[in-house]
Amino acid sequence: MPWKDRYTISDERTLLDSDVRWPDGKRCCFRIVVDLAPPSGPAGIAPQDLATPDAYFGLHGGLDALLGVLDRYEVKATFAVPAVIAEIHADRVRGLAAAGHEIAAHGFKHEDVSLLSREEERTRLARTTASLTKITGRRPTGWFSLARPSDKFAGGAVGAHTIDLLIEAGYEYFGNGLADDLPHYWVCDFASRRAILTLPYYYHFDDQFFLLFPRKGTGLENPDALFRNCRAELDAQYKRGRQFSLVLHPHAIGWPNRLILLERFLDHARGLPELWYATSAQCAEHWLATFPARTQLKLEPSIWRDHPGSLS
Amino acid sequence: MDSSSEFTHELDRDLAALEAKAADYAARHHRLATIAWPAGVRIAVNFTADFDAMLLRRVLNEPPQQLAKGEFGGRVGIWRLIELFDSHAIKATIFTPGRICELYPQAVKAAAKSGHEIADHMWEHQVPKDPVLERDHLRKAKDAIETLTGRRPVGTRSWHTRELLIEEGFVYNSHDSADALPHYVSGADGSGALINLPFHYAIDDAMFFSFAWLNSDNQAQRMMDPDHVEEIWWAAFQQQYAQGGYLNICMHPFVSGRALRIAMLDRLITRMKALPGVWFPTCEQVARHVVAAHPAS
Repeated sequence: MPWKDRYTISDERTLLDSDVRWPDGKRCCFRIVVDLAPPSGPAGIAPQDLATPDAYFGLHGGLDALLGVLDRYEVKATFAVPAVIAEIHADRVRGLAAAGHEIAAHGFKHEDVSLLSREEERTRLARTTASLTKITGRRPTGWFSLARPSDKFAGGAVGAHTIDLLIEAGYEYFGNGLADDLPHYWVCDFASRRAILTLPYYYHFDDQFFLLFPRKGTGLENPDALFRNCRAELDAQYKRGRQFSLVLHPHAIGWPNRLILLERFLDHARGLPELWYATSAQCAEHWLATFPARTQLKLEPSIWRDHPGSLS
Repeated sequence: MDSSSEFTHELDRDLAALEAKAADYAARHHRLATIAWPAGVRIAVNFTADFDAMLLRRVLNEPPQQLAKGEFGGRVGIWRLIELFDSHAIKATIFTPGRICELYPQAVKAAAKSGHEIADHMWEHQVPKDPVLERDHLRKAKDAIETLTGRRPVGTRSWHTRELLIEEGFVYNSHDSADALPHYVSGADGSGALINLPFHYAIDDAMFFSFAWLNSDNQAQRMMDPDHVEEIWWAAFQQQYAQGGYLNICMHPFVSGRALRIAMLDRLITRMKALPGVWFPTCEQVARHVVAAHPAS
């Protein structure tokens, strides 16, 4: 009997607010993830995707401006970097790592991995890990699969083999999970309790869905809604003692007219004295040590069963 | 017959068909001009949650991250809604698919224990076309809820056929919105009337916060913030409060259970509670009251 297979990826209930612990008695974890992939189609970044003003801005002026803000506020971010972007902009990516930011993997070319065979996905995964390791001198511990603005759904693509392959390749965490607003374990095989730590993501705190979404010219500009969402979530999570994470795209947030709203938001965050500013890798490291799957994952026997005349 | 009179006949036939359809639909819907609420009550507010979690996403065969988005409702969101309503001593109605009872038995039991109504939301969030299977699904859902809560559900939010619902002992449906107030839906001859507690799609969290809801295009996404929606819903409440009416706020635990929206709902409830005569019953209480005070004619 499948254990709620194809319905759930983890336990029946999240960790209670009162059980959450952050380092040094901090109250709430705060993360910024920067996506370095320019907009592309499901096949991933194609040559023409790099020959646009947006793509250029995202890796030059927009990135500089965003880094300026992160520096001023002393925030170390996680950069989700497709291997091809790291290869093309190796010095830039090395510079990010040298400045103390985390470099995490974001696919070989930010392709939709659910369209690939297991073997092809494994090959691309290995090539991505090798590229990022070679360029930064450190093996990435995290893997992201963030959505493209043209995707039908806002969660990012995960295939039938993705989680299993990430565990096989030794990744410590998967960066964008939607089933919780705390780190949680994504179980890909219930019998053997095979699982990967998954950090939370929610598209209401992702700039690309608010800034000329879905595309320049016809998209709508809602930066006020984005930052009202962020502020409301951060305040609520600070009270609960959980976590907040924001995803930014330099080609979008890097414009001066938008960056000013990010600065205001970071000013607001500064008013919360017990925030723990962490990269995703630091957050994952803390979680794996404090709430390991071995003790956290219950996977209690389920009353779930197959019924004739119903979906399995 | 010349061509002009042929055209005229065609138009007459069109008009007759339209008149017949409109008359049939009207004969099945029966409005109540006003509702006489219990003494001291000015407005009834039903907080209702459709506890689909990932079930509808699964039925539509959506990809893993969509299922995970729904899973939030079962792991996290439902618990927060229970906690929120309990903190305000509000009894809510949780429309629960039968399969959810197998996926999240702890949450369903906890909600029932707090006194919230657990009502039907179809066995697996769809109604089979085959009448035998339809009855089988409805009974399975009823049994699943009764097994966990010890109470047979009397309400539903579903596309189930009215006749079947009545046969199976259901007292109300809360689906669609042919009128702003509770109203009856019956057969064309007025027989088999069942009370409907309407919820409007603009008083539904998913319409404002759920990406790709009802297959919407990316151009049509509603990525709104809670402040904006709080004001839309507050205005709706004030309007109904002024005339002594009814409001049904439809939530989904995977949407409203997010921390920023729980905080918004907390503010909204606090504003409502500051006024006299605001009643927060379960849907069952509203349905039983309306049926007693305004029986189907």
